Amino acid sequence: MIKIEIVHNKIEPFRSNDSHKGDGAEVVFNGRVREVEHDKKIIALEYEQYEGMAEPELQSLAEETVKKFPINDLLCSHRVGEVPVGEASLHVSIWSPHRKEALAAIEWFISQLKKRVPIWKWAIYEDGTREATSHEC
Amino acid sequence: MSMKITIRCFSHVRQALGKETVTLKLQDGTDTTEVERTIREMAGEALDGISFRIAVNRKYLSFPTELKDSDEIALIPPVQGG
Repeated sequence: MIKIEIVHNKIEPFRSNDSHKGDGAEVVFNGRVREVEHDKKIIALEYEQYEGMAEPELQSLAEETVKKFPINDLLCSHRVGEVPVGEASLHVSIWSPHRKEALAAIEWFISQLKKRVPIWKWAIYEDGTREATSHEC
Repeated sequence: MSMKITIRCFSHVRQALGKETVTLKLQDGTDTTEVERTIREMAGEALDGISFRIAVNRKYLSFPTELKDSDEIALIPPVQGG
């Protein structure tokens, strides 16, 4: 199963459950907003998406990942809009029969997401000013 | 003959131009390379050193393409999701 979503509110992590009888590995990743961006303290990041393109790209990437790696399920939730420091901007869960492929798949999926899905970050500083951030992986 | 296209501005492009969209009237036969050049000129030096991928009608292009009336173009700065 593939499920991807772009959400505007706080991410509700996909629930773990005991129904994956054939999967020995469940890998979960949460990407959270750090309090420092390029050596400057921030209060939040604003994630800007290209609406109408970001979600199809994310879906296409998830489908490619499931074809490329022997995994059974990939769930991904990406938050857009203002995300305060400490909160999650990205949540990914992958289930597979074995650990090695699940870890490889999640690493590849997130790396590709950071290259292909049209979403950008704006730093919001303590004085309220905003700035498009420079690229970093 | 001329055509009208819409440029969607994100991240550094939006910051440099101070706009979310720009509409341009162009001569028929204009391609994406000329649009990128126009946007860079409009931004002054603000986009120097930033590379772009180009999307037309919300699909990435692999090479410069001639545009059609009503096309939507985006200069995609390095993305930063996650």
